[in-house]
Amino acid sequence: MKHPLAWIVSFVLVAGCAASTTSVGHDDQRDATAAQQPQAKPAPTDTSGGNPLVAIRVLLSTGAVEDPSGKAGLASLTARLIAEGGSEARPYAEVLNALFPMAASLGVYTTKEQTVFYGTVHRDNLEAYARLVAELLLTPRFALDDFNRLKKKALDHVTKTLRSNDDEELGKHALTDLMYRRHPYQSPNAGTVRGLNGTTLDDVKAFYRTFYAVDRVLVGVSNGAPAGFAEAFRRRISAGLAKASPKRTALPKPPLASGLSMLIVQKQTRSVAISMGHPLPITRADDDFYPLFLAASYLGEHRTFNGVLMQKMRGKRGMNYGDYAYVETFLQDGWSTFPLPNTQRRQQHFEIWIRPVVPANAAFAIKQAIFETQKLVRDGIPQGDFDDTKAYLMSFSKLWTQDAGRRLGYAMDGELVGREIAAELARRLPAMTKAEVDRVLKAYIRPGDLRIAAVAQDAKTLRRLLLSGKKTPITYDTAGTPAEILAEDKLIEGYPLRLDRRRVDVKPASELFN
Amino acid sequence: MLRSTTLAAVALSVALLTPQHHARAGAAAFPFTIHQATLPSGLKVIAIPFDSPGIIAYYTVVRTGSRNEVEPGKSGFAHFFEHMMFRGTPRYSEDEYARVLKRMGADTNAWTWDDQTTYHIVASASGLATLVELEADRFQHLEYSEAVFQKEARAVLGEYNKSASNPRQKLREALRELAFDAHTYKHTTMGFLRDIKAMPQQFAYSKQFFDRYYRPGNCVVIVAGDVKPDELFALTRKHYGGWGKGPPTPAVPQEPPQRSEKRSALTWPAPTLPRLVMGYKVPGFTPKTQAALDVLENTVFAKRGPLYRKLVVEEQKVASLKVANYHKVDTHLFEVWVSARRAEDLPAIEAEIQSALDAVARDGVDAKTLAESTSHMRYRFAGELGTANGVASNASWFVSLTGDIGTVNTLWDAIAKVTPEDLKRAAAKYLVSTQRTVITLTTSVQDDTQKKPAGRRGDAR
Repeated sequence: MKHPLAWIVSFVLVAGCAASTTSVGHDDQRDATAAQQPQAKPAPTDTSGGNPLVAIRVLLSTGAVEDPSGKAGLASLTARLIAEGGSEARPYAEVLNALFPMAASLGVYTTKEQTVFYGTVHRDNLEAYARLVAELLLTPRFALDDFNRLKKKALDHVTKTLRSNDDEELGKHALTDLMYRRHPYQSPNAGTVRGLNGTTLDDVKAFYRTFYAVDRVLVGVSNGAPAGFAEAFRRRISAGLAKASPKRTALPKPPLASGLSMLIVQKQTRSVAISMGHPLPITRADDDFYPLFLAASYLGEHRTFNGVLMQKMRGKRGMNYGDYAYVETFLQDGWSTFPLPNTQRRQQHFEIWIRPVVPANAAFAIKQAIFETQKLVRDGIPQGDFDDTKAYLMSFSKLWTQDAGRRLGYAMDGELVGREIAAELARRLPAMTKAEVDRVLKAYIRPGDLRIAAVAQDAKTLRRLLLSGKKTPITYDTAGTPAEILAEDKLIEGYPLRLDRRRVDVKPASELFN
Repeated sequence: MLRSTTLAAVALSVALLTPQHHARAGAAAFPFTIHQATLPSGLKVIAIPFDSPGIIAYYTVVRTGSRNEVEPGKSGFAHFFEHMMFRGTPRYSEDEYARVLKRMGADTNAWTWDDQTTYHIVASASGLATLVELEADRFQHLEYSEAVFQKEARAVLGEYNKSASNPRQKLREALRELAFDAHTYKHTTMGFLRDIKAMPQQFAYSKQFFDRYYRPGNCVVIVAGDVKPDELFALTRKHYGGWGKGPPTPAVPQEPPQRSEKRSALTWPAPTLPRLVMGYKVPGFTPKTQAALDVLENTVFAKRGPLYRKLVVEEQKVASLKVANYHKVDTHLFEVWVSARRAEDLPAIEAEIQSALDAVARDGVDAKTLAESTSHMRYRFAGELGTANGVASNASWFVSLTGDIGTVNTLWDAIAKVTPEDLKRAAAKYLVSTQRTVITLTTSVQDDTQKKPAGRRGDAR
């Protein structure tokens, strides 16, 4: 594995050559407007032709891992306050006023190790927008009123949305909590109740002074900007930030404990949301990641019918709305089927997401997800499916970067990791073999060591049932299930989970993220 | 005989744009050359070449959605049927259909809303011929067993269940059910839960539904991106040529005028922010009225506006203030959605919102604010047109609404011509208390935000 600290070393260099990212993948967008509107009066500022949209991304290599003890949520709150709290020169309401006519906004998200500020504007407004972005980033207002507003918003998110109004997100966060016990990845990026309540405006100011530094920043501007703009913008941002930051928070080894463990979150709900996974010792920086990525696509490509889990759990059994698998953190970008860029981190994990099932089928669904994973590890990927998945990824990966913002984000991830994932797949897939995929499955995927999170109303009954060792048949209220599926059901309902009762916890949702 | 026409892009007026933003005013809002053909069967095929090397977006719009669910017990059926469209034909089984698209590396899915069901694929441009063949095949020759139908019905129940913990779903259901008496907008696109539960028993009806609505006169194919119009038209003529016209479709009942305010209060058995939704009856799509409503949305409810500033930024009583102002075929709702911090503030928040609307009805909007709103809207729309998928998706909305892609620039032309007087009129006629349905939702459990957190194992930081 590439040394985790390699990122830090490369940052100084990367910041210095950020302008190079501006040319990635953009040549093909020239002359779009000119070619498409022969009937229309040419727009004066569009004389260079091309897609008029320009994306800007400012990426800080800091995130939730650098929340101090007792202040979980500080990194995220600091970023929010910069994007949604105004500058020294103008309060937030005036920022909104300035952004309005250009229909722009400054988006932000904070993940475990990265914080990214981003926006896309029409070329007409690029200069004004960039001035405003620089003003917000370099001279944040940090007013108490805005701090209180955004802190309340973060607390609402944790106590209302996560704990109560979104079982699927709750399941994923419960899995993170279980997978990363006593690890800096444990808490939600948005923070915990105690962490947010314990955070002051002075903490935010100190976090900003400490971590928003030149050696942590990567500035990207997509093509379509006037000549020299990207470099000038990068210089403007770099000149206004602290010169150096502390060494990055060291991470303990990925917690790869053996044996299954489970957390059942109890709350009022009509179905059972399930997530499971385990940490991985590899990331995009490792050669073995790429065959493992193909295996995950075969097992459960996000929101498609390509995956085994989706075909068998939803397609053949009608168990739920979807079933997917991943080998790195996956945050869906809006309504698309693609992940957000700029969420890279030094440690990754294998994850399966089983969308809510009716309570009567929860135990069966958990067993089936593990059963299918075990089967894949044991038998390997069938040759035909390997060929199909390879062909799929060769083309599908080209769709990840359709717009300016995503192209830029992927290019920046490439700079940070040293490997741009779509380019790596394009380079590696043609020569990749089934044997490689089968080998990495056996080396890294451990169905017997999964952490399992479930959100259920009758949590104790689910626990008891799973620990009983009894068969847990699927309940169909539909007719005509094919004989081969019914035969497979028999295998799954009796699949031995080998759960240790000391490692199956039940907790009310109100006790999570405290 | 295939007809092929090219629609000229329409230049918009520059008069109402502020000087610093007049740069884009010369171009039409939807600035692409549109190539359109209509097959003898009535199927419209639209090609929108767009600089997207190697990539196309292939959309099939069925101009049927939950609005067409006129028979009792059939709510949610259009959406359910969307799922069934992936279940195969005699020629391409479900697995084979999925496999061909997988080998192409396609990004494919579909969605259903009140007035439309939209199937979309983004894929390599080199796959065009295969896509035309696949799509033409399933739209004409869909075939599935009752067993498969029943399994998919339960995937739909799963889709309902996945959102059931969010009070928004409950509010949306309650709002529509109370607001409408006769029209099918009374139910959500997901449908009533009781109807979703009974879906496995609707196999025979599903055949009738397909026969009725999946017909060439009710569908439009749109391909945007790296596409050659003539090639597309030749392929569609070949593969969709045998698609026959269908039986007459049932009429959708019209909603009688609303005479007075409707109101209801819900409780939620789990922690949540208190919520408020106000739905105002507004007419089905016509460019002039819709333009005024769109500008009103972007003026009264803009984040930079006084309402948002007061409620969200300064007083901080409101956590979220959003508007759902969709373009729809029939009389529908202009919805204002609020998440508040304290239940006791809901009446005052509601009054503030109505007062902001009343102020527009009384005083109108000044010319500068109006110009900034339309500039905002134009730039935001331009921002949605950066990819082949964005272009096709936007086109699909207008096509599903009127059947005519020219509607997109007709609307933007109307938006450019909106006057302060138009806003005043629209606010006074539609966004008034007699035309609204108001629903509140508050939790029935104690707020645990302020509870002292218990110490817990494993919280190492």
